Amino acid sequence: MSNRVVRSIFRVGWPRTRQQRLRAMLSSLVLHVHPTRVRVHVLRPSYTLGLGLVSFYLFLILTVTGLALMLYYVPHPAAAYRSMKDIEYAVTFGMFLRNAHRWAAHGMVAVVFLHMCRVFFTGSYKPPRELNWVVGVVLLLLTLALSFTGYLLPWDQLAFWAITVGTAIVAYFPVLGPQVRYLLLGGHEIGQAALLRFYVLHCLILPLAMAFLVALHFWRVRKDGGLSAPPDRLHRRVPAWPHLVFREVLVLIAVLVLVHAAALLFDAPLEEIADATRTPNPAKAPWYFLGLQELVGYGAIFGGVVVPTALVLALLVLPYLDTHPRGVGVWFAPERRVANAVFAVVAVAVVAVTIVGTFFRGPNWAWVWPW
Amino acid sequence: MTPGGLGHGVSRRLLLASAGLSLALLATVVWAVVKEARVEWRVWQGRYAALESAELATGSAEDGSRGLQQFWLPDLDRVDRCTSCHLGIADPGRMDAPQPFRTHPGRWLETHRPDRYGCTSCHGGQGEATSYRGAAHRPVPYWPEPMASRELMEARCGTCHKERRPRGTDWLARGRALMVDRNCTACHEVPGHDAAEVRSPRLDGLPIKVGPAWVRGWLKKPKGYLPKSRMGDFRLAERDVEALAAFVLPPRGKLALDAVELSKADTEKGGEVFRRSRCVTCHEINGRGGTLAPALTHVGAKASREWLYSWIRGPHRFQPKTLMPRFRLTDEEARDLAAYLSYEFGDTPEGFEGSDAPPSPALAGEGRSIFEKRGCYSCHELEGFPTLARIAPKLLAIGDRVLEPAPLVARGTLPTLPNWLFTKVSGPEQVLESARMPTFGFAEDEAAAVTVALLSLRARETPPARTTRDPVRPPYEPQGEFGALVRRYRCLSCHTIGGSGHVTSTGLPLSTVALDRIGSQLTRDHLERFIGQPYGVRVALPERMPHLNIAPEEARVLAGYLSTVMVDDALEGAVPSDAATVARGKELFDRHGCAGCHIVGNSGGYVGPDLNGGGARLKPGWTVAWLLEPERWKRGTLEPDRGLTKPEAEALAAYALSLPARKAKAVGR
Repeated sequence: MSNRVVRSIFRVGWPRTRQQRLRAMLSSLVLHVHPTRVRVHVLRPSYTLGLGLVSFYLFLILTVTGLALMLYYVPHPAAAYRSMKDIEYAVTFGMFLRNAHRWAAHGMVAVVFLHMCRVFFTGSYKPPRELNWVVGVVLLLLTLALSFTGYLLPWDQLAFWAITVGTAIVAYFPVLGPQVRYLLLGGHEIGQAALLRFYVLHCLILPLAMAFLVALHFWRVRKDGGLSAPPDRLHRRVPAWPHLVFREVLVLIAVLVLVHAAALLFDAPLEEIADATRTPNPAKAPWYFLGLQELVGYGAIFGGVVVPTALVLALLVLPYLDTHPRGVGVWFAPERRVANAVFAVVAVAVVAVTIVGTFFRGPNWAWVWPW
Repeated sequence: MTPGGLGHGVSRRLLLASAGLSLALLATVVWAVVKEARVEWRVWQGRYAALESAELATGSAEDGSRGLQQFWLPDLDRVDRCTSCHLGIADPGRMDAPQPFRTHPGRWLETHRPDRYGCTSCHGGQGEATSYRGAAHRPVPYWPEPMASRELMEARCGTCHKERRPRGTDWLARGRALMVDRNCTACHEVPGHDAAEVRSPRLDGLPIKVGPAWVRGWLKKPKGYLPKSRMGDFRLAERDVEALAAFVLPPRGKLALDAVELSKADTEKGGEVFRRSRCVTCHEINGRGGTLAPALTHVGAKASREWLYSWIRGPHRFQPKTLMPRFRLTDEEARDLAAYLSYEFGDTPEGFEGSDAPPSPALAGEGRSIFEKRGCYSCHELEGFPTLARIAPKLLAIGDRVLEPAPLVARGTLPTLPNWLFTKVSGPEQVLESARMPTFGFAEDEAAAVTVALLSLRARETPPARTTRDPVRPPYEPQGEFGALVRRYRCLSCHTIGGSGHVTSTGLPLSTVALDRIGSQLTRDHLERFIGQPYGVRVALPERMPHLNIAPEEARVLAGYLSTVMVDDALEGAVPSDAATVARGKELFDRHGCAGCHIVGNSGGYVGPDLNGGGARLKPGWTVAWLLEPERWKRGTLEPDRGLTKPEAEALAAYALSLPARKAKAVGR
């Protein structure tokens, strides 16, 4: 009897034969995103570092913790801060949930950036993977947008003024900038309308877009012939079950362990309630936009509009400019010396300017030594 | 080795890694659960349960978790979870329990029920928190409302209790009274303080009163002339003093002094007038006497005899708002008194011996701009100037002011708001060298009281239903013959009627006798006699009614009005005067030891009024009401409330009213 129940759910039993292993991938909704067989090359941790997978897991963790937090958080300026305090002090595991959500969010921004670097340095954007790279860039922007929209929700001084700075930079964009800012804020100031919009963006619109694009991203990986590999390693394959699936589970456990540990060791900050009349000095954007804020310090249009737009456009058109098939599947292939060098310099510059904005800028954006 | 079902291909290394990671995951999950189970409020509840079960001696190991406790007060916009740990706070049986389980001290929770007020509305702190640190028992970052220390709790009382003298708050009441006394609202807009309360002399008449030497000395240091001066020290430079004197001294031509033949003055007779009139009730001499009016210790060095004569004859011409009555003296008496004052109190104080040369008129323009810049006209009226110069920041929400960067405070103290306010009030120049605010020379306790009063001015609006205020009363301005007499003799400088009347720097009127229902308290004959000749009813009092020399027909008008209008129908009534009741009264008098404070016959205490001849003075209904509830009629009275029943009070009243007048020489005349 129970056998029939189990069989009705799992049409292929626990795989024991090779054929069962192959069919397992095809018979499960979750598993069928995998190919039946994968290249051995891509299983090596030193090749992909599992970064894409980690990003995805972080997104799942964020979704789960986010849904739990949605049960308690109230997106109205008069109630938001108090609901944060309730989560922190009254809800069982509330602080843990909040910490997990915040550290997973910061982690995801960093990991997504690193994933992009990995993909570039292994030349995995070249044809036929151009569209997937573009989707990836959009996913990066969505990740930043999700983090940014979520940043406002606690409605404390940190949140309020970070979003003030961020939306002010948006307004620098010629012609459309102020309109976009108005659209984001639902007005000219950060208030009830802005909070509600950010909440809906953060919990509904952006996650749906993200989910769709992630699905597309995975589907494209399959359709583009799997993860990239050098020409001499294209054909050695092993069954996805257990080799790929097992490793994926390990990475999941590792990510969970790290997120848990971070949530238990470090508390997410909550400053005093947002006060539009008191500006902290300095008022800093979220850390991933601090590089932008630093550049804005050199010139509003240059730093706030020209450089970021140029970077994003460059990323988007990259795979259509560099179509030379050589150097795919290995890190820092010698044939791609120039491209790798340029990207590395830009990536390091982005990180450096972010570090400067985080640690070396104090009141009035004056230079300070962090020690 | 092939692990079950996974088949070949999963290396040993990977299996070890998976084992390790799985254990790590389990560890973090267990860690999270344990951390939550041992969160601070649960721990305290466990300890409380242990305390309870130890008492019950049942030994039952109850889990003891009552769950999170909170008071949610939407109208105060507060959520207070303090009782999650402070479990015994409302339990009278926990007075000896260790903290945090101890009962709340005093009877505060009876009048401020936690389910209506929470905890943080009085104590401050973060009510939403469930940990010691989070609750801001000590100041924590990012929570701007730390818990008030015991010393500063009164400031928090003042957030809801906006009246001038809230019950049970010594510091707050004193601070609020001092702020009125020093005219703070003249420069700073103080919530709850009316501009009409600003009280300082007009300067129109200054040129005919004083000379340059005095003005120079005074502007340099007011306390050199008046040790208890209300005017602060404006820390003026030499040149500014000169300029101000140049501006303020030239005659303005409106007022003139009365002509008087001073050669005929008799200072000895003047001294008699001085003593008879009891000027020291209001004016202190050499530190002894009242502080309602300026000290007269050096008045002869300040004002001319002609001016003194003119002033005594008619003070209201020169200062329409002065508290001083127009005594009924003959011109000769006034002349003698002026001469006496000038002669007896003519020593020049230190700092006032400077040159009497008039200042250069060229400086008058500069003086005028200093007069404007320092806001002198805000306190001192002068024709041609507006009434108020709010040159200083508003004090609305000063108690919530966030000082960034760290404020300047006195050396060795923490840079907190209370310390900053205390430093500033004690000496504004300590905070900002170029401050325009004068140094008032507050004693430490005075400065502390003002600090408490300032801290009670908060931004957060309390709902009107939770706020208490002094009732708004239209000022009492009597009319007609009675009104003219009240104005001439300035009854309201010392007495209050309907809440109107001068209030001193202590927050209380000078006389403890409010006149609201005096007609029901004292007999008409006594009132008439007393008004004409205010002898000492309570001889131990330092402040006794001055002898204004009110004419008999004037006293009749005043007593008549007071007896017919200033009555309280609820106090009318008689007491039985039969011998049995009187005897009972005497028995009660002896039993309660009333003679400890009151004189009967030839013996008794000096604390309360002499009760001889009580029937001629007191009215029966009032006496009974007084004995039943003295605190109700006179807050802070020394008369004890013995918990008398009505018959007992009536008996005591009957006894007191039956006492004959003393036959021996009157005391205190």
